[in-house]
Amino acid sequence: MKTKTASKRQAIIKAAAEVFREVGFERASMSDIRERIGGSKATLYNYFPSKEKLFFEVMHQAKEGELQAIAGELNTEADDLKRELVRFGQKFMTVLYSADAIAVRRLAIAESRHSDIGKLSFEQATVPIEKQVAEFLRKVMKRGALRLADPKIAAIHFLSLLESELLQRVLLGVIDTVKPEALSGCVRRAVDVFLCGYERR
Amino acid sequence: MMSKNDGKRQAILERAYQLFRVQGFDGTSMTDITARVGGSKSTLYSHFPSKEGLFVECMMAALENYMSDTLKHLDATEADPELALRNFGASVLAFICSSEQVEVRRLMIAEAARSRTGKLFFDKITALRSQVSSFLSRCMASGMLRRDDPDLAADQFGALLEAEMLEPLLLHVREGAPDEEEIARAARRAVAAFLRAYAPAR
Repeated sequence: MKTKTASKRQAIIKAAAEVFREVGFERASMSDIRERIGGSKATLYNYFPSKEKLFFEVMHQAKEGELQAIAGELNTEADDLKRELVRFGQKFMTVLYSADAIAVRRLAIAESRHSDIGKLSFEQATVPIEKQVAEFLRKVMKRGALRLADPKIAAIHFLSLLESELLQRVLLGVIDTVKPEALSGCVRRAVDVFLCGYERR
Repeated sequence: MMSKNDGKRQAILERAYQLFRVQGFDGTSMTDITARVGGSKSTLYSHFPSKEGLFVECMMAALENYMSDTLKHLDATEADPELALRNFGASVLAFICSSEQVEVRRLMIAEAARSRTGKLFFDKITALRSQVSSFLSRCMASGMLRRDDPDLAADQFGALLEAEMLEPLLLHVREGAPDEEEIARAARRAVAAFLRAYAPAR
């Protein structure tokens, strides 16, 4: 058997990303993806045993980087904390509630019984973002703009509040997409209540 | 009156629920259930065409029973909303984090794009939420909490409650339900943050 290489793997992911974008996950087939990169189907399956795994990898790479970049932009020195949180929340939720990100999130939960993609998704996406937000909040608390509290719990509370009106509805398929106007309302209300709970009095 | 068919269906649901609770979803087969209920496998399949479907029905029934039990907490101790919310929160969180409820939620999320069961389940959650919301609305009316949209407040209370535990459980990052102490801690933190956020203006 040929050894697997990182560059071949990346090439497959890139081709798959194109195919998924063009025809969507349901209609895309492993054959479509193989045609784009050449080589045998066996080689493709050697890298990725299923379309689900491949899809997860594609979306994971794309979304994870984007979300972490958004969390990385949180500015501790911002004069107006509320504005900064709303700005972050808006960008963050727009990516998190894109159709692709929702699909990958459902898939990670669905597949978590049979594979480690749930765990991977938690460790590589959820935890780093919680850490980034916690670090931001820790600094904001330190400079006195929020009351002193466990920054990790505060971060988890903040991120959960952002999703409080949407998460179950979206995961359970009650609504499929969220309009940008609806998102900004959710973000504003979440930031308001978070600040009420964590501001100094 | 319950027809013979309803009686059979009810018997299947009860026996299957016992098996699922002990052996989990993966560890329970339709054959096990047939053996426990008696009768033929084809009878079982005529009532429930799939193990997933049967499981979902079992868990919805469990959710309904649970709701009618727990919601009493919310009325009884209304004099002290913090205590009422904390007890209620710990109870709801323990239920949500139980292995079979995590499993049912995972299944419904997995099927969300293909079936309507997720929506049915959501309706049940909504019924639970509307009870919380009317409790909060009474607290707002009596001045214990500041006035705001009680439905929104109930959503936020739910989100704070689930914040620490649900995702790692759904993603199988941790196995087994958290213990009572851990549940109580998370519920206490959620209730504290919630009450602070909804404290009446001074």
